[in-house]
Amino acid sequence: MEALNYFALSWLSPELLALTALGTFLGIYVGAIPGLSVTMAVSILISFTFSWDVNNALCLMVGIFMGGVYGGSRTAILLNIPGAPSAIATALDGYPLAKKGLAGEAIGLSTVMSVIGGFVGIIVLALAAPTISEFAITFQPRDYLLLAILGLTLVGSLSSGSLAKGLFAGALGVLVGTVGLDPLTAEERFTFGVIELWDGINVIAAMIGLFGVSEALHQLHHLDKAIIKQKITRIIPPWADIRKYFPLSLQSSFIGVIIGALPGTGGDIAALMAYDQAKRSTKKPDVPFGHGAKEGLIAPEAANNAAVGGAFIPMLTLGIPGDAVTAVFIGALFIHGLNPGPLLLVEQPHMFWFTVGNLTLANIFVLIFGLTGIRIFSKLVECPKGVMIPLIMLLSVVGAYAINNSVIDIWWMLAFGILGYFMRLYNYPVGPVILGVILSKLMDENWRRAILSERGDMGQFFANLFSSPLSCVLFAAIVLALFTQTPLWTKTLKPRLFR
Amino acid sequence: MKKLILSAFAGLALSSMAMADYPNKDIQGIIQWGAGGSTDTVMRSVAPHAEKVLGADIILTNRPGGVGAIATKFVNAKKADGYTLLMGAENPQMYKVLGLADIDYSDMIPINVMARGIPMLVAQNDAPFNTMQEMIDYIKANPGTVKVGSTGQGGLASIVMAMIESEVDLDVTTVPYNGDGPALTALQGGAIDVMPAVLGAAVQHIKAGRMKAITLVDNQQNAVLPEVAPITETLPSLEKYLPYGPFFGVFVKQGTPDDAVAKLTEAFATGAEAEDFKALMETRGYGIMNLSGQPAVDFLDNYRSVSSWLVHDAGFAKHSPEEFNIPRP
Repeated sequence: MEALNYFALSWLSPELLALTALGTFLGIYVGAIPGLSVTMAVSILISFTFSWDVNNALCLMVGIFMGGVYGGSRTAILLNIPGAPSAIATALDGYPLAKKGLAGEAIGLSTVMSVIGGFVGIIVLALAAPTISEFAITFQPRDYLLLAILGLTLVGSLSSGSLAKGLFAGALGVLVGTVGLDPLTAEERFTFGVIELWDGINVIAAMIGLFGVSEALHQLHHLDKAIIKQKITRIIPPWADIRKYFPLSLQSSFIGVIIGALPGTGGDIAALMAYDQAKRSTKKPDVPFGHGAKEGLIAPEAANNAAVGGAFIPMLTLGIPGDAVTAVFIGALFIHGLNPGPLLLVEQPHMFWFTVGNLTLANIFVLIFGLTGIRIFSKLVECPKGVMIPLIMLLSVVGAYAINNSVIDIWWMLAFGILGYFMRLYNYPVGPVILGVILSKLMDENWRRAILSERGDMGQFFANLFSSPLSCVLFAAIVLALFTQTPLWTKTLKPRLFR
Repeated sequence: MKKLILSAFAGLALSSMAMADYPNKDIQGIIQWGAGGSTDTVMRSVAPHAEKVLGADIILTNRPGGVGAIATKFVNAKKADGYTLLMGAENPQMYKVLGLADIDYSDMIPINVMARGIPMLVAQNDAPFNTMQEMIDYIKANPGTVKVGSTGQGGLASIVMAMIESEVDLDVTTVPYNGDGPALTALQGGAIDVMPAVLGAAVQHIKAGRMKAITLVDNQQNAVLPEVAPITETLPSLEKYLPYGPFFGVFVKQGTPDDAVAKLTEAFATGAEAEDFKALMETRGYGIMNLSGQPAVDFLDNYRSVSSWLVHDAGFAKHSPEEFNIPRP
């Protein structure tokens, strides 16, 4: 009963309600602009809300978080520039839909699915938080390594056409990810003595270049092409569609909430894994993946919003951040005189239900704000090329600078833009490059941690791998993921077994 | 006409007076670490108090990267006019010996060293030892089996271990993490057995019974964890290195006018005295220092000489501290 009181706190107070709404609204736009990240917005709010009441500050921040994760899909669908790495998979099928004149429908569908994902995340947080957080911290470096390798098998899903070209792009990404100070020993790698390279090449700068700038350059080839008229009659997806895709969005949401709850991984990997899983499990998509399959839009959108609830699981129960944004939340709670730690649930039980209530409220606002204004946004795609291309370039430059207030990121963004342009010209997929950069660090660090823990003994490494149930499951998943792509499976076994 | 010239002169005089009065425009605060980190949190909570005293806005910008060297070099590339502040942590004091950069805080003017973290050793609950002496005995009896987390060479954990190993030989397996947060998570999951971390990062976990405190790497007990013995009870010879610990401070470029330094010092001293700032530092387990002027310089020099010589003796310094005339502690 008391829990319900705290749950409803932000629903019943007009002030808190308004702040959550404002946060969600701002979040959608912050999330939609590439380079402006939710992490950045929330930490700026720390000093802005310094003298506020803690509840007011939290309402605004939770709103920004929920709205921001959703907002990343907007520019991904409309302009092929993902607002954040967690919206990369959204661009793969969302943008082709926009090019077919279905931007409105795509945004509508992604909104509804994000909200479903958000709710799944919140429900899991409310019901199973302690269990899941205990499970999440048992992930050893070895298990993160296996998870990263499993992530690498996604290259197959992200590359339509030649697998070899996909592998090349993925390997390039892994290589780009190794630039900078060695995360474990601070030794310089591929930095050529340039201090700006110590932190490596920013993945968001690379992403904006590979997706946004290369798209702008590519459109220069089609200046004479007629503008596609956007159909804006159907925006709210029909009930039949929601029912049809509901199982898929549930499956994706569960992937999202678990990956989100792991302290070492977040919404970006969750969305990509859900996309991959959707591609594997969808028997006959109406439209092939990569050409505007609705399944390819639903899976990542449900997963990345479910990861929000997931990220709060270890934060609220153990004081361990589930991702970069919840790490900032921990800082904010400290500033407001609370002790976010394993004792938070005992000392401040109301914080838990207050946050759950807030998240639910913010999720409802995502639905409201997400479904309004779509008509105007879809018109954006109808802009003449002479306006559109400079707009994309401008957005890309501003976004790249905003990441770290550093001009060097603009240069990287442009360089990756040119690289991306040539990759497209010769049919190399750009998605695997970003995947490689994201996974490179995860693999590098955890492989070395795992092998250092065994003092360099490979035999011991595998002995421990096969004696841990969790590692065995992950290992089996990798074997299966690889095996189901071999001709032995696709040509011989699969037709016989699943006739 | 005369009137016009007069008023122009008056205006000029006024504006030059305003120029003399520091500060007459926004001040840029460059934070060495990323948004949401501990340095970021500390600076964002002290800045509003300093703004009130200064009567000017401090625009905070995160310029993370290169273990803080990017922000440090950035501030040193600006004019020495007191309008660009470096808001940083302890890291630059190791730049020279680790070969990361050729400047450190001895090349800047400290405005305020606000707070210091107290290092301690924590262990996972299943570890078969509870005190420093038991830990040493266990490691000696089982060489190579105890996994100790670290935050990379030159990080706090590596220096604490070097400090201990300057007295006793310990054969442990070191597993590096990106910061004490992830390492303490790994400790709870059983991936490592022991972690040298700051008290503030570990205290809540200890109180909740999720890990156990072995010792404080300090020369006295602490009110937050009164039952935990300081390391000097087991290894008294470590006294010469202590008190030691990561710190947060505000710095300006060498050559900044005295009036600006004085005004900034006053502002940040007031900020470090503010009740809510003190409360924040207490809950995070940091000790308030509020040092400026010569005491701040002395503390910074001691920090630099202890860490530089420890990493040098432990064999992972690129340059000898002697090259930079850093005296032995």
